Amino acid sequence: MTNTRSAWIVYLLLSGLTLFTWGVARAGYSGLGVTLLVLGVALLKGQMIGDWFMSLRGLRGFWRWVIVLWLLLVGGLITAAFMIATGG
Amino acid sequence: MDMHIKTTEQPTRPAQRRYPPGDLALWIFILAELSVFAVFFSAYAFTRAQHVELFSTYQATLDCNSALANTLVLITASFFVVRAVAAIQRDRSAETVRWLWLAVLMAGLFLLIKGHEYAHHLAAGVTLSTNTFYMFYLSLTFFHFMHVILGMLVLLVLAVRTRRGHYSAAEHTDIESGASYWHMVDLVWIVLFPLVYVMR
Amino acid sequence: MQYQSQRVAKPYFIAAIGLFVGQILFGLVMGLQYVMGDFLFPAIPFNVARMVHTNLLIVWLLFGFMGAAYYLVPEEAERELVSPKLALAMFWIFLVAGALTILGYLFVPYSSLADMTGNSILPTMGREFLEQPTITKLGIVVVALAFLFNIGATILSGRKTAVSLVLLIGLAGLAVMFLFSFYNPDNLVKDKFYWWWVVHLWVEGVWELILGSILAFVLIKTTGVDREVIEKWLYVIIAMTLITGIIGTGHHYYWIGTPAYWKWWGSIFSAMEPIPFFMMTVFAFNMVNRRRRNHPNKAAVLWALGTGVMAFLGAGVWGFLHTLAPVNYYTHGTQITAAHGHMAFYGAYVMIVLTMISYAMPMLRGREAANSNRSQVVEMWGFWLMTVSIVFITLFLTAAGILQVYLQRMSENPLPFMVVQDKLALFYWLREITGVVFLIGLVVYIASFFVGSREPEASVSPAPAEAGA
Repeated sequence: MTNTRSAWIVYLLLSGLTLFTWGVARAGYSGLGVTLLVLGVALLKGQMIGDWFMSLRGLRGFWRWVIVLWLLLVGGLITAAFMIATGG
Repeated sequence: MDMHIKTTEQPTRPAQRRYPPGDLALWIFILAELSVFAVFFSAYAFTRAQHVELFSTYQATLDCNSALANTLVLITASFFVVRAVAAIQRDRSAETVRWLWLAVLMAGLFLLIKGHEYAHHLAAGVTLSTNTFYMFYLSLTFFHFMHVILGMLVLLVLAVRTRRGHYSAAEHTDIESGASYWHMVDLVWIVLFPLVYVMR
Repeated sequence: MQYQSQRVAKPYFIAAIGLFVGQILFGLVMGLQYVMGDFLFPAIPFNVARMVHTNLLIVWLLFGFMGAAYYLVPEEAERELVSPKLALAMFWIFLVAGALTILGYLFVPYSSLADMTGNSILPTMGREFLEQPTITKLGIVVVALAFLFNIGATILSGRKTAVSLVLLIGLAGLAVMFLFSFYNPDNLVKDKFYWWWVVHLWVEGVWELILGSILAFVLIKTTGVDREVIEKWLYVIIAMTLITGIIGTGHHYYWIGTPAYWKWWGSIFSAMEPIPFFMMTVFAFNMVNRRRRNHPNKAAVLWALGTGVMAFLGAGVWGFLHTLAPVNYYTHGTQITAAHGHMAFYGAYVMIVLTMISYAMPMLRGREAANSNRSQVVEMWGFWLMTVSIVFITLFLTAAGILQVYLQRMSENPLPFMVVQDKLALFYWLREITGVVFLIGLVVYIASFFVGSREPEASVSPAPAEAGA
């Protein structure tokens, strides 16, 4: 059974983290550290969508981890590309 | 793999469930879609690595406020969809219909805002052939745009069918499938937003 | 067989197999011409043999698809065909037109054929796979429209199932895409661009819908698994096919003068094209494993499973090998393409037509459900001989292709095309020998129709579920 109170909390967290990302963009911060932080925030948000909105949190086996794996794969590849770009 | 699995047939204790809500066939489709986006995202990131200057320059021309608005709109739509599922689980179908319509409205709002952005680029003479950054920006966001349209249509059909009394607390697999698909559309944008608009 | 009008499928299937034999014979002629350039010259030059080989393939597959549709649709719609007479008339028109076209290729110089058939009025000839004279193309359109009317009216006035609707969309798409064969702009880039709308959007688009629905039909019939389950898979597979296949057309647009973004679109979307084929493999094996009963027609089940595996290997894996733009930059138009073409066409489309023939033919010839054991054993020999040969033909051509790419395009001192061709002779000989084995397999397959026809039908052994219960 979907819990509406936790849905509220997740919704507010997602919105807050979105504002944070936007703030970073508006402030014009750049550099590998900030960039990867922004990416990390996105992955965290993705994880929250998978766990709470898609309700994968209570499962066991492959489907429990499917979104986590996707996020790690995408996040890993993007991180690698950005590190190559800065020559680090 | 058993394609019959429906949430309602699963044991009630969450720890024992093995399959995600909705139809498993739909989840296989979601996996396939996510892999297409994964390839697209990596192609963007690795191409950027060879044209950092170019990408930064043109990323600066994007409208970050629209992107913020759109992200909030999609998250809100997802929240409404969650409420719709919660309502049908409690057999309150009138409430489900309301939440679904609100989600459709949000999806429409996304399309409007994104359409406005496209109009702006079009007026500035930007095309797929302008440069590599715009090629990726337009391709990626438009491919996602098409998914929003599809997701919106799915939610629309679900709203109509719920209103006609097709679903109940006992049987609402379709709603859970549609909800999962919509969350996927949201999830992809959650990565797309920082990648294309913010990360320089 | 539940409906009398399903019988019209039989001549279509027989014609398909007959033309299949012709296709293989011309393939062997051509294969020999790779190593003995003047073989049968000037009677059958290489370009003519190639044209006949590919055109016969397309025509017999179309016969197969139409036969399959005529057999499948009444059973799905739960009613007789709207007009069996029209179906039979179209059969003869299509067969005569096809035969005349092939004879024209063989006995008249191509340019004279163009003059004789009034190509100058509406020029459409002279393009690979679309070599047919304009009047033949018009004939194809007439046949396709009559066929669609017959099938469509039957489906829409009867029970509508996912299987028959997907089939109808596939067949309608086939007809619509063919219309682009009449568009022949002077601009070569545009010409090639829309040429692929026929060629690619057939084999990597709408034909896959036809393939999916025929496979689903045979699996429903032979496994007894719930229609609901099978149809769900069908929907997911065709959705993925269309998403990847339509934009995947871009993998033909790399080097023909189109904008650069096609390199990305083509690479990314076509790289995903193996997914629906992989789903099809999983689908076929899953349904057979979950079967509610053992169907006495084991050969048909073997063909269905074979389609799943070989379509994935040929279309999926061998397609992926050279679909990415940076790879295709070197492999374009080499024997790698030929390797992929052979296994993909056999694995996806030859095998699905033979699956349907294997399933339907016993009933069309008066059996309850299946041929005798002896006949099935011979048929399965045909299956293995042809399938194993095509695997080896593909491997030899792949080896030839890799060598060709290296010698001609990658080495320090690239060699000219014909010099490289000489160096590939060993692989071409091996391919030709394997081709002979394929022909033997085909003969064995045809023999299965005449073997054990007086013996009793193969019997049903209890399904695992029933035996356990």
